[in-house]
Amino acid sequence: MRPELKEYNYDWMMGKTLKAAAMVPGGTQKETDLALKYLPYYHGVADAFFNAGDPGIQLLKMLSQYYENILTAREKGKKIVATTFCQTPAIFYAMDVVPVTFEVLTALGGLVWKRGLFDYMDYCCEVGMSETSCSSQRGAMGAYLARLGEEIDFVVCDTPGVCDTNANAFSFAATYLDKPYYQLNYPSTLGDDRSEKYHLDDYKEMIKFLEKNTGKKMDYDRLAALIKIVDQQDELIGELEDMFMLVPVPMPPLFNLAMYAGRFAFCGHEAFTRLLSSMLEWARTQAKQGHSGLKSGKEKLRAYMCYIDHYTVDMNFWHYLDERGIATVGSILSRNFRDISTYAQFLEGSGYGVDVSSPEAMIDTIAQMNARLPMVRSIRGPYDKRNMWLEETLAIAKLCHAQCIIYNGTPGCRNTWGMVKPFSRDLENQGYPVHIMNDDAFDDRVESWDSTRERLDEFFQVRGLL
Amino acid sequence: MTIVAGCDVGSLTSKVVIMKSGRIVGSAIIKSRPKPKESAEVVMQAALDTAGLNMDDIARCTGTGYGREKISFVRDIRSEISCHGKGARWLLPSVRTIIDIGGQDCKAMKVDGDGRVIHFVANDKCASGTGRFLEVMAGVLGISIEELGMFSTGSNAPVTLASTCTVWAQADVIKFINSGVPFADIGAGINGAMAKRVAILANTVKPEGDILMTGGVAKNTGVVNTLEKLLGRKIKKTRKADPQMAGAIGAALFSMEKLKNIPGGGE
Amino acid sequence: MHFFYDAVTRIENHAITRWKQSGKKVVGYTCSYVPPEIFHAAGILPVRLRGIETDGMEIGDAYFGPFICSFPKCLLQQAGKGEFSFLDGVLIIPGCDAMRRLDECWRKAGEDHQGIVPTWFEYFDVPHKSEVHGMNWFVQEIRNLIERIERQFGVSVTGTALRESIREYNRGRRLLKTVETLRAEKNVRVSGTDVFSATIAGTVLPREEYTRQLEKWLEDLSGRDPLEGEKKRLMVIGSIADEIDLFQLIENGTDAVVVAENLCFGVRYEGNEIPVNGDPILSLARHYLETSVCPRMFGKYKQRLALLREKIERAGVEGVILQNIRFCDLHGSENGLFQRDLEAEGIPCLRLEREYGPLKETGRIKLRIDAFLEQIA
Repeated sequence: MRPELKEYNYDWMMGKTLKAAAMVPGGTQKETDLALKYLPYYHGVADAFFNAGDPGIQLLKMLSQYYENILTAREKGKKIVATTFCQTPAIFYAMDVVPVTFEVLTALGGLVWKRGLFDYMDYCCEVGMSETSCSSQRGAMGAYLARLGEEIDFVVCDTPGVCDTNANAFSFAATYLDKPYYQLNYPSTLGDDRSEKYHLDDYKEMIKFLEKNTGKKMDYDRLAALIKIVDQQDELIGELEDMFMLVPVPMPPLFNLAMYAGRFAFCGHEAFTRLLSSMLEWARTQAKQGHSGLKSGKEKLRAYMCYIDHYTVDMNFWHYLDERGIATVGSILSRNFRDISTYAQFLEGSGYGVDVSSPEAMIDTIAQMNARLPMVRSIRGPYDKRNMWLEETLAIAKLCHAQCIIYNGTPGCRNTWGMVKPFSRDLENQGYPVHIMNDDAFDDRVESWDSTRERLDEFFQVRGLL
Repeated sequence: MTIVAGCDVGSLTSKVVIMKSGRIVGSAIIKSRPKPKESAEVVMQAALDTAGLNMDDIARCTGTGYGREKISFVRDIRSEISCHGKGARWLLPSVRTIIDIGGQDCKAMKVDGDGRVIHFVANDKCASGTGRFLEVMAGVLGISIEELGMFSTGSNAPVTLASTCTVWAQADVIKFINSGVPFADIGAGINGAMAKRVAILANTVKPEGDILMTGGVAKNTGVVNTLEKLLGRKIKKTRKADPQMAGAIGAALFSMEKLKNIPGGGE
Repeated sequence: MHFFYDAVTRIENHAITRWKQSGKKVVGYTCSYVPPEIFHAAGILPVRLRGIETDGMEIGDAYFGPFICSFPKCLLQQAGKGEFSFLDGVLIIPGCDAMRRLDECWRKAGEDHQGIVPTWFEYFDVPHKSEVHGMNWFVQEIRNLIERIERQFGVSVTGTALRESIREYNRGRRLLKTVETLRAEKNVRVSGTDVFSATIAGTVLPREEYTRQLEKWLEDLSGRDPLEGEKKRLMVIGSIADEIDLFQLIENGTDAVVVAENLCFGVRYEGNEIPVNGDPILSLARHYLETSVCPRMFGKYKQRLALLREKIERAGVEGVILQNIRFCDLHGSENGLFQRDLEAEGIPCLRLEREYGPLKETGRIKLRIDAFLEQIA
């Protein structure tokens, strides 16, 4: 890591950047234009957020508050947990623990800074991590390993068995920083009694771990209230996600990112409810008028991102979709599989229900909810088994009238690169043109954005899609 | 006076240094031939010519580099890592950290006061982060490696390259050329990408004391300057000899040490 | 020694061929977390699958993506080439992300290459934790596995048979422990290459035959002279490794001897015997899930570091080679931590990233090993 970066606290930098950004839209147009002049690199992102109207502003406010919470955790006597994206943070909020979600923070940093988080990513390797480890953790994690972020009190991740690379990064961080570590382990099956019981037992142990490391008892009344809020938020998300089925998709591509980033980092918080309500209102109006959410107002193609999106510098990917007239119908990160959601109906036995009648029921609810978060849900078992990645992808592509399917990940993603070739072959056999992106969603040094864009264009042209 | 030699047969270049009383009296560098044995013989003859000596005048010779086991005239062989440590110490007595970028790999090492390697790391990737990377990129730009090194100073907007894979980086460079990006920005991007890969390695050994770069890339000012910025430390320059010869110098010094340990063998 | 060497340098060794000729069954498995005693008790020969003898990667690369460890790719390559045609069954284990995807890739390759997927092609879901519920899951997994074996092969795996198998495997464990004592001697008389061959042989030979050969070899060893010359004592740890030539590269023509290793193919916890009294399934579960800790179990770094320290002290290790196969982040990253902690204690370490399979990059690896040995001097 270049020495000058070590002079700045990473959380502080990000926090201040987002705080300033969140304040900009409150001013006059002239003030906004002036502020944008001083944001040479952040311009594309700021533009995307500001132009998204109230939802964009709410998103900025929410992200700003997320950082504010991290920065003020110590003075408020709260503990900080390093955790992963496929984990509902409500259980931490119920114990007054502030989550630092590495992947969300890496994506944010990558979007905001011109040179991305390269230095922080490399720092992880400088202190011993393998260079091939997933960039989604390595980004923000590098700052914490360099002790340039708030001090982490303990580490919890729920990926062992699904994404060992992810679990390994968290285990590395815990060892390197000498902090307690708890792993939630996921078996290869989902929805059967045996694995549900395993999840429940595992979550009970996690609560013991949290109680030990915070010195507090789990407040079940608070947990119940939070679960209810999360469930209401999931309902709003569900309604938004249903709009992916409309032709054209009434939402801009940014909404999907806003939905899942909020879901991973801030669910259970009022700010997220405000964001969702704002997006929903916006989308409903658009839908009523039959408008596309794309800037041009013209939807030329519908693509399903069967894995993750692309997060490098300045929201290049989102701008690209907008320019080309491509509506995405979400990614694997989008859906949460509440049993009443439309798509869950198409995959029998894939959803979960909510029950807050007793502590045991609540823990089970959280366990089942988390078991269905992205990646740990459908990539846990062999991709061609019941309700796993292939069936889920096909069901969603069909429901949302996708015309093609695109895979994007990181080279660190062993669990998908391990089978994405036969997986995509199966999708092609079902009639979907499939493009496998070879880049790193968080690191342009693996494949430059220019090449990525060119390969996408080539795919759309060769397959006669655009 | 005993005359010793060191022969470093690398993947891109082969070098020989002839020393007498701790001073270089002859040296040569050539582009490596397909067969290491042939490279060694040609470069040795060239070095002997510069010193006005014959093979018989050389009391002992140590071989190093990739082709070290194939050299016919050497008595001893040492790894190039040890040789670069030793050679760097001779070039700059205060050196404690050495970054050696060779044709096909890159190493960072720390040495003690005698030039003995106490810790090293070597890249285990493909050609990215090596001399070959720069050679390929210079080729795409249609310029010499030396010219490539001059870029960086004239650029305010270096391009971001796919730096983890030489093949992809090459494709990127071609694309930048076609879309009219100034050569200075592409060149600076190439040097920067190279420096970043080397910086990871250098930071892994936690640099201490004076840093010296050895190997051919030490002559690329673009890479060196960027690396200094990334490490936040000055990289020392040496005029005593060409830093690309460090491995061969170290090998010659090892020959000398061997002779000293043989009764009546050295000075 | 030749016996072991021959047995481990070919995928289908003579003993496997003879076993098949006698009409008995063979099942392949992919990870050290499988109790082979279960197959032994069923009269089936368990063979740990290895990716040696590959001479191309066109099948491995056709199904696995580019950023995947070469070990499962080599296994798939050999499967696709029909090199595992002697198998009556395969057990896939989620040892790590790449290894668990061998399940889909092998089955999918079977759509293009006829007859490479045995009828009995099963998944053994080993958990990543050994705490109470993890252990319960594993015990149930073993019971399910036994049922599936019984159903498919028409055999009965009784408690008595399991106990007898544990006893037989314990004999080998005791003998290997004696080998470890010999390696710790000041003037070591056995090369790491030989010991490595002998331990790997245990995973591919009929157990009774293995025990017999091990006894014979030990007898021969006890009368042997120490190895010639002053030797630097090394330990090899890290990713899966079963390539004899890797050890030969370290030892042949150098002044090094490998006196210890911590690899899932070597003598990891072979010294620990499994209790024969009590429920044999519980005993097996405890042994395999609790005592053989691999970084896949996450959060057990301190336990693993303590084991390395113990081995370093016992065998007088002077330098540690920490190797990892490219894209093996579990060992690759752990090696970084080991290096930090062992070097702080004055133990020289060499981190080495490599590809699995026939050693094609010997020059590069040799250069590092030579420099490392010079550093230890």
